[in-house]
Amino acid sequence: MGVTSRFRFIGKRVPRRDGVLKVTGAAKFAYDIEIPGMLYGRIFKSPYAHAIVDRIDKSEAERLGAVVITYEDVPKVLFNTRLVSVDEATYKDWEVLTKHPKYVGEPIAAVAARSEEVAQRALEALRVEFKEVFKPVLDPFEAMDPAAPKIHRKIVLANRWVDVVNNVGATLEYSEGDVDKAFRDADVVIERRFKTNRRYHLQLEPKVAVCKPEVGGSITVWTTTQSLHNTRILISQVFGIPMSKVNVVKTFLGGAFGSSIHTNLVTLIAVALCLKARRPVKIALTREDDILHDHVSYQMHFRIKAGARRDGRLVAGEFENVMDIGAHQIQAYPLLGTALGWFVSLYKWGSIRYVGKAVYTNKVPTCAFRGYGNPQVTWAVETVIDEVAEELNMDPLDFRLKNYRGLGDIFWGQGPTVKTVIKSDGVPELMRKGAELIGWYRRPKPWEQRGRFRRGIGLARGFHTSGAGGPISGEVIDYTGAILKVNEDGSIDYVTALQDHGGGTLDAHVKIIAEELGVPPEKINVVWSDTFTTVYDVCTHASRGVYVGGEGARRAAAKVKERILEYASRLLPKVVNPEALKMEYDEELDDVVIYVEGMPGEKVTLSEVARTAWQRNWGSISASVSYRATAAPPSFTVYFVEVEVDTETGIVRPVKVVAGADLGTVINPDLAAGQIHGGFAQGWSMAVLEDVVYDPESGEPLNKGLITDYKVPMAPDLPALDNFTVIFASTYEPTGPFGAKGIGEAAANPVAAAVANAIANALGIRFYELPITPEKVLEAIKERRG
Amino acid sequence: MASRVRPSPINTMNTHIIPVRFEYFAPKTLNEAVDLLSRFRGRAKVLAGGTDLVVQMKVGRVRPEYVVSIRWLRELDFIDTREDGLHIGALTKLRRIEKSDVIRRGFIALYEAAKAMGGVQVRCMGTVGGNLCNASPAADTAPPLMVYEARVKAVSTRGEREIPITKFFKGPGKSALEPDEILTEVMIPYQPANTGSAFLKVARTSMDLAKVNVAAAINVREGVVRWARIALGAVAPTPIRALKAEAYLAGKELGEDVIARAAEIAASETRPITDVRSTAWYRREVSKVLVKDALRIAYGRAVRG
Repeated sequence: MGVTSRFRFIGKRVPRRDGVLKVTGAAKFAYDIEIPGMLYGRIFKSPYAHAIVDRIDKSEAERLGAVVITYEDVPKVLFNTRLVSVDEATYKDWEVLTKHPKYVGEPIAAVAARSEEVAQRALEALRVEFKEVFKPVLDPFEAMDPAAPKIHRKIVLANRWVDVVNNVGATLEYSEGDVDKAFRDADVVIERRFKTNRRYHLQLEPKVAVCKPEVGGSITVWTTTQSLHNTRILISQVFGIPMSKVNVVKTFLGGAFGSSIHTNLVTLIAVALCLKARRPVKIALTREDDILHDHVSYQMHFRIKAGARRDGRLVAGEFENVMDIGAHQIQAYPLLGTALGWFVSLYKWGSIRYVGKAVYTNKVPTCAFRGYGNPQVTWAVETVIDEVAEELNMDPLDFRLKNYRGLGDIFWGQGPTVKTVIKSDGVPELMRKGAELIGWYRRPKPWEQRGRFRRGIGLARGFHTSGAGGPISGEVIDYTGAILKVNEDGSIDYVTALQDHGGGTLDAHVKIIAEELGVPPEKINVVWSDTFTTVYDVCTHASRGVYVGGEGARRAAAKVKERILEYASRLLPKVVNPEALKMEYDEELDDVVIYVEGMPGEKVTLSEVARTAWQRNWGSISASVSYRATAAPPSFTVYFVEVEVDTETGIVRPVKVVAGADLGTVINPDLAAGQIHGGFAQGWSMAVLEDVVYDPESGEPLNKGLITDYKVPMAPDLPALDNFTVIFASTYEPTGPFGAKGIGEAAANPVAAAVANAIANALGIRFYELPITPEKVLEAIKERRG
Repeated sequence: MASRVRPSPINTMNTHIIPVRFEYFAPKTLNEAVDLLSRFRGRAKVLAGGTDLVVQMKVGRVRPEYVVSIRWLRELDFIDTREDGLHIGALTKLRRIEKSDVIRRGFIALYEAAKAMGGVQVRCMGTVGGNLCNASPAADTAPPLMVYEARVKAVSTRGEREIPITKFFKGPGKSALEPDEILTEVMIPYQPANTGSAFLKVARTSMDLAKVNVAAAINVREGVVRWARIALGAVAPTPIRALKAEAYLAGKELGEDVIARAAEIAASETRPITDVRSTAWYRREVSKVLVKDALRIAYGRAVRG
């Protein structure tokens, strides 16, 4: 890592700041919030996938001492729980509580009582009568049939009603160039259909909300969210409370993976109960609640057609994307654009044509899941790319290098409205090193293998955007904010609304501030903040925490630095221009020294400056910054995965992984590598294991919400650490803080594709439906044997 | 388009608490325990490690009026080598079985089964008696005990009786125990010299209920199988012995073709279903593979001693 070695703090291995807190249980999560007199809430969920409620008798529940709310007690407004897109791109179709539930588990009523036991008894005492129960529509293609039951009739876009036709919630079409001609001129054309799985996020922490009424009509909210400020805005909009009376307080977050980019419904229900009860209310979902009815990934059905010339150049790409979004829109419409962005940005297709449809079904509403559609698109595209290369008789690695979008090309971070020119690109380096480490050129040929156990090596390449900023304002809201104060002793308070999901994002910010000022990380305090005391940050998502948030922090530090140097120059009268001053940490003094290069006498410490500014009434050294990134550069990842397939059981085992990541400057190598290990685990799980399968009659998940029947890999199911190599590209992103880009999602995006390509290399069989379970593998092997 | 779908029990499930009202007893002696069971005949559940019962109660699938915890009956927690065989108390934790040298040396299939169950935390709570009494078709300790021809002891106020493990399982969640009986111990006869055994399991992950599990035990003399025993789990309403395959193997030399034929026969004795964990077809196919592998390993252990 030659590039990072010139840094004092960045790139160094340091212990996690919150490590001890988490290991000892001292870290407070939303579930740990206890308030005297607090009530415990439970939600009455629809037992049917699609029904209309006739009436609710709540008298028995109220006799038990419970506060009860139904759809009659909540504001009659439709909303979208996610506020990351601008109003004109936000479809609203959801209510806090509904009379017309559209999936098993949709909230109809809620109770709050002095204990979880009483709340549960009150919940069971509610008498809810349904006047109609419809057969659920569970398949998006059946849902588009004009004869299918209508899930929504009218929804709101911005502030207009729009009709929903044939359960299609949103569409997007796009084309560039003469696609038909390009396909006619192509020497090789491959066309495939794909079906992805429906994955539950399985974040460690199930969703929780605590709402407390305050004197004067304010409320305080603690909840599992990726965005403090958007949670506040939504509560304000839905309940008509001014934002100055809604305070959302930061808590530790036990992971989210995209499941709390939107405000989870539990938050709004807790607010509604709190307003009715005039008492603090906590609602904590059980793991089963969380699995059964809270969130799940987008399930996508693709048709991809790719055309290439004999010389190995792609000339045409066609992409059809039918998304099974469940019963409500969270970010379905933006995903139609972003999925196209992922497709377009993977390769230089020449001409392209795209049709995307977001289709309602009577299932749990879908939301972003680490990669926001990118792992799905990359799996399908990287499968087709492998097949085109095989057809052309080209090495898949060379074919990728020839056609991928890299340095100097245009990159569509988050769809057609967020475009960036690529300024850093580690792909060639990662490809070369990875190929060497895995033994790419000695990989097996499927037709030469005999025996029960077959080996295969797969390659896939991908990327993710770093944030959703850009030179112009598109459909996505993306800016951050930071407040930095130099205290009167020279230590630092850093105030930010940006959430750290557990990945160590704020540790990175601290290092960035430390690097900018020379103040060691131990002297920088990350203030436990809330929406009252921070400036707006949109959300920790889109791998923007370090790239956007970190640059916001750096800019606040740079502003503060200007003031420090100005004050320092008052103490160093010979200095005429403060810009001549440098700041550097001096270990012996344990202080920052502000000095003139080459003039050892001309120096003052930061603590002296801070103290003097206080004592002589110069005023505080502080800065408040609101920052919008001018780009959303891609972080590239290249995965080489070796697998072993047991041809008698169909079981696929990971043997070896070489994961290459181009995240620009690596701020914290251990945490970055941790993201890559975690990304592999989730990608592997997507490839071979996970799916939420629904009962075709009832529309309820067959796992009944039980984790017993929603499996993810355990440590023994993953490669031993010795067989997992992480390599970082030596790149520098000129628009990022000290050259850094994102990593969270890029770490996961190409994994399923690499695994699928490895299985194909082992068996000579390709699979077009995820997950690639042992059942499917064995069936395919038997079928081929005939 | 009306539908006659049954409502989901979604609102009666709350795993933060046990959303079921029950009366709890913690007897100090076996006599007290069986007295209680006799008094509450059929309306009580016995609580041992709780890894099955508490989960079932939390999700509302089991709603006993009375819960009789036997966790204080320390006399049921033992691994004893006696003249007639190995005796394991019903309250013995799976983790203790996994860590027992006697079991690993003499009854390796049981060791392999215990090690394959849940995570360490679950094995530190779950008991062998509980695993059997839960009577899951996928119970991992069942196939090894079946190939070792173990017997279990059941005690009630009416006295005690022994039940061969092969007669213990009656259906999913149903055992041969009467409602007033407590399973107190498992007795495993010592295996004769030149016997080898093995347990294998296929599941979705390394911490999971079995899609299929198999145990095999073989006794070999001069290269010829004197007897073989094969048991399979999760492929029928109860764990089963593959008696036809066993009969086929007796007296044969164990070549690859014999192993393959035995596996085919064993698979034909299964009656698997399709559920959320796997398909009937896959379970039958993989039964063959596991039977073959288990026979090979057991044979190797028999001839190597």
